[in-house]
Amino acid sequence: MKRESRPSWEKPAQFVLACVSYAVGLGNVWRFPYLCQMHGGGGFLIPYLIMLAAEGVPLFCMELAIGQKMRLGSIGAWSAISPYLGGVGIASIIASVYLCLYYNVINAWSFWYLFHSFQEVLPWAECPLNSNYTGYLDECGKATSTQYFFYRETLNISSSIGDGGGVHVGQALCLLLAWIFVYLCIIRGVTSTGKVVYFTATFPYMVLFIYLIRGVTLHGAMNGLRYMFTPKLEQLANPTTWINAATQIFFSLGLGFGSLIAFASYNHHHNNFERQAIVVSLINSGTSIFASVVTFSIYGFKATFNYESCLDRVRLLLLNNFNLAEDAIIADNISYWVTELNNTYPDQFADLLPKLEICDLETELDTAVEGTGLAFIVYSEAIKNMPLPQLWSVLYFFMLLLLGLGSMLGNVTAITTPLQDIRFVSHNLSNEATNGLVCLFCLLLGLGFTTRSGNYWFTMFNDYGAAFSLLLIVLIEIISVCYIYGLKQFEKDIEDMIGHRPNWYWKIAWACVSPLIIITLFIFYIISYIMGGTPTYQAWNKDLGQSVTTAYPPYAQAFIGLLLVSSIVCIPLTALCTYCSRQRALSTVSI
Amino acid sequence: MFLHDFLHLPVRLHLTACYSLLSTRQGPQVALTPAAQARVFKYEGASGLPRGLRMSLNLVIVLCLTAVLGPTLVHTLCSGSTDANKVRLSIKTALGDEAYDWDESEMFLFKATIAFAMRKCNKKQYEVSNIQVCNATQRVSFWFVVTDPKTEDLVSGKDVEKAVRMSRNRINSAFLLTDKTLEFVNIPPTLAAPVKPATPPWLIVFGVVIGLVGAGIAAILISTFIQKKRERGGIKEREEDEEEEAGQRNGVFCTVQEGADSNINPGFIEDDPFTKL
Repeated sequence: MKRESRPSWEKPAQFVLACVSYAVGLGNVWRFPYLCQMHGGGGFLIPYLIMLAAEGVPLFCMELAIGQKMRLGSIGAWSAISPYLGGVGIASIIASVYLCLYYNVINAWSFWYLFHSFQEVLPWAECPLNSNYTGYLDECGKATSTQYFFYRETLNISSSIGDGGGVHVGQALCLLLAWIFVYLCIIRGVTSTGKVVYFTATFPYMVLFIYLIRGVTLHGAMNGLRYMFTPKLEQLANPTTWINAATQIFFSLGLGFGSLIAFASYNHHHNNFERQAIVVSLINSGTSIFASVVTFSIYGFKATFNYESCLDRVRLLLLNNFNLAEDAIIADNISYWVTELNNTYPDQFADLLPKLEICDLETELDTAVEGTGLAFIVYSEAIKNMPLPQLWSVLYFFMLLLLGLGSMLGNVTAITTPLQDIRFVSHNLSNEATNGLVCLFCLLLGLGFTTRSGNYWFTMFNDYGAAFSLLLIVLIEIISVCYIYGLKQFEKDIEDMIGHRPNWYWKIAWACVSPLIIITLFIFYIISYIMGGTPTYQAWNKDLGQSVTTAYPPYAQAFIGLLLVSSIVCIPLTALCTYCSRQRALSTVSI
Repeated sequence: MFLHDFLHLPVRLHLTACYSLLSTRQGPQVALTPAAQARVFKYEGASGLPRGLRMSLNLVIVLCLTAVLGPTLVHTLCSGSTDANKVRLSIKTALGDEAYDWDESEMFLFKATIAFAMRKCNKKQYEVSNIQVCNATQRVSFWFVVTDPKTEDLVSGKDVEKAVRMSRNRINSAFLLTDKTLEFVNIPPTLAAPVKPATPPWLIVFGVVIGLVGAGIAAILISTFIQKKRERGGIKEREEDEEEEAGQRNGVFCTVQEGADSNINPGFIEDDPFTKL
């Protein structure tokens, strides 16, 4: 039987769109706006763009170069660079597995919210009633209806990581659908992925654009935009700003998972990856900024809505207690009336004081949220107040779904490509079967995240599963390429592929700047892990209707340690194994 | 009995009667000058008053008392009583530009609707006069009590609440208001029971999507399987073609022998051209 040649992308555009689809993910939508808000609005763009040029683009280009040159997945590529470095590929795969396990749960939630948007009244718009229909359920009354829908109806969350419960059937079904969807997209490897990415890469931009128009025309959007774009340049003096900018660039581009190497391995030998690397990185950062404009206009709308509702409540309170005519107090003269009534009826006013809320727009805007809280709670709260909320809800969650799916395609390809490089697998199993087995394996393990305490395990994986190991992986990657493989050899390979040598910018970045930045991030992470004390998480307390900071129990801390160590330890272990097998081979030869 | 009779009269009448008796203001009914008043009180204790005058004097005194006490009595019946209910209307919030002014007629309508509600609930013949209203404010809020038509006692708050709950919709619509804008402060509205469809709607959408995706995967897998089968068949054909060509190129033509021996390699036997597919 003839040996099939390596499959490849039909057109270079498919490769670019696949990289864009992979890099542009949920982090662009829910992490970058948060960082922007925390670190001085428009001023954050300065460290962000500097880090993009210093660290993001060079590392991205390096991974593409390796993949395209070696034409193998991460294990094969790193083994080709040096036989002792096969462990780097294995570590990448393990990090990808961890990511695949928990990331698709977010897609399951997106599906859940998407399907629940097809109702006349959005289920998170109103609190459900209590048993005798006289008021709202306690838990919902203390929290907001959107929080209640997320924590109680979507997750049915327990009160701590120890209280496991049964599997939430709705979540399990949605996770099953998410994995089936991923399987459909990668079923034939690059040939099917290449077609899907046309849609997953472009549709989110359409939705973002529609949302931009909707967002800036909302009442109060300008408050949010003004808040974002007013730069607070004093934040630039804070080292955390620079660290967060570097970290965001690093994780946003998806370096170290082996996905970029896998995607690039299907390229033609003379594909101009250098230009593509710059294009994809710029698109990724541009999308972050675009998404944060949309997010801040929606923040502004939500904050203004809450502020005006607060004013309305205060007005009603004053009207009802002092029996003034309805049109006597309006939103503008509330402060006048407050002082007036305080002077005229001091005793009565003093009684009223505990119930009197203080309404402040700045405080509303200051509530910075990131992560799943932003995407599923804050956004859905804003959407329910828009006119025609069902349409906006469907659009928004479909966009989240596509963003998450695009990233998933890259992560699953990072696992299946090295597997298919193994001869045993490619000879005995078809493409479809390998992909199917990987999806099934991840689905079965991922069901653990759909239990009642699943969200706590999810947060643990999110915080510790990939972050630390990726930094080490990429550090070893760049050092091995520059100093073990040799920068000169690398330059020759690139010239062979694209026709010209990389100029001084690339060489300085690869040899000095990027490794230094990663070492700094690495040290910072280690210090913050050590100084942070006992790791804690946010547990939802249903009696209080809010999250409380709880420490991880000992077995959970042990598991965190396992997560951190399990992928990193492959690198020295594999090096050791290779060394031992080589020694054995040498000794057998000599005998 | 006297007191109850006078309670039926509008409070204002009492007040004006009283004021006209006790002050120098000219009232519509009885107009007694201060001198006359003094004469009235001076003669109160006198035994030499004619009988008719004494009776009318008593009447006036009683009138005064009820005039003073009457509103106070209604007042204590109203806001002091535990059976009183506070009502608050937010007409401008509900209707905006189309808001109507709250005046006497609207108050009359309110009393009529409450009387209607009480009739519906208790099956007794409540009249508009059985509803007493007091402490009306600019907010448009006031207290009201309901008295029984036969016994003139106050109807308990619980019964009023029951009646209002039963006809809440009718009361609201009489004023073009809702549960939120026409508030009975002690009677929380019964919230509408949520509509629960038989199949949750999300399951329907889920079923559709998973069906489509499953069908897509099945289609791809089946087409791959068919393609592979065809390829395998085609490869065998191609292999046979190649070997045959190789045989031709070598210039070796072997004749077919019936009952071939084992030492003839069948791979290099040229097939009969007419049996080829």
